[in-house]
Amino acid sequence: MFGSLDISTSALVAQRTRLNVISANLANQNTLYDADGNYAPFHRRIPVFAVGDPATDSDRGVHVKEILFDRAPLRKVYDPGHPNADGAGYVAYPNIDPAIEMINALEAARIYEANITAAEATKNMMQTSLRLLA
Amino acid sequence: MIAGIFDSGALPALQRLVQFTSQRHAVLTHNIANLSTPYFQPRDLDPKTFQATLRNAIDQRRASRTPTSGPLTLTDTEQLRFRAGGIEVTPTPTHQNILFHDQNNRDLERTMQHLAENTLAFNAAVELLRNEFNMIEIAIRERV
Repeated sequence: MFGSLDISTSALVAQRTRLNVISANLANQNTLYDADGNYAPFHRRIPVFAVGDPATDSDRGVHVKEILFDRAPLRKVYDPGHPNADGAGYVAYPNIDPAIEMINALEAARIYEANITAAEATKNMMQTSLRLLA
Repeated sequence: MIAGIFDSGALPALQRLVQFTSQRHAVLTHNIANLSTPYFQPRDLDPKTFQATLRNAIDQRRASRTPTSGPLTLTDTEQLRFRAGGIEVTPTPTHQNILFHDQNNRDLERTMQHLAENTLAFNAAVELLRNEFNMIEIAIRERV
């Protein structure tokens, strides 16, 4: 029974991580420079899930396996006067589509809710079992 | 003596029902945790098979010399192996829903429905167990 709560918690952690990544993507839609001030357009991050939970060393549950970079080409904007424009006058902007990020954010929030419901059910069952003793 | 008390009436059947529903609960929460995991195939334990096995065991006991007491002998199925201290389970994939583009054939609504039904079955079984234990307690105390 306590194992079920671990499973739901692993999913809550994974979906929250996914939301963090989505927030970072949305926040950096127009980021051209890295933290050191070098010209490096932000690449979209993709969280990848896999079955199993290393935190509880269990083959049930879910965890974020890795966070990948989106290899899609960067968005080119024609702006010849820009200091970072290439030879043809184009500036490379991050390859982030806010609509896709919003859809993923919605899905993550809904799945988070589904797992909260599952955790509530587990707690309900644990409470009923504990009443056997009282 | 104690074994005789705990093997009588509905107690063994309720015990098995609690064991089955708590195992199935873990399987269902696992499915919900992996709603967005690529290549994940939801698995489930079939409650119908369990109920049929339980029904057979109860029918068998009814036909024996002691119709209302004695342990239930449940026959193992593909998914369930009945041990003295619990049930070992092998959940099998459910191929009911369409496959999504991430190769996951999730079915959120049906999974949540199964979760709700399973929780209700578990709670009902535990409540009935509680009643049985209360009755035993009344018998031991010799007063209502």
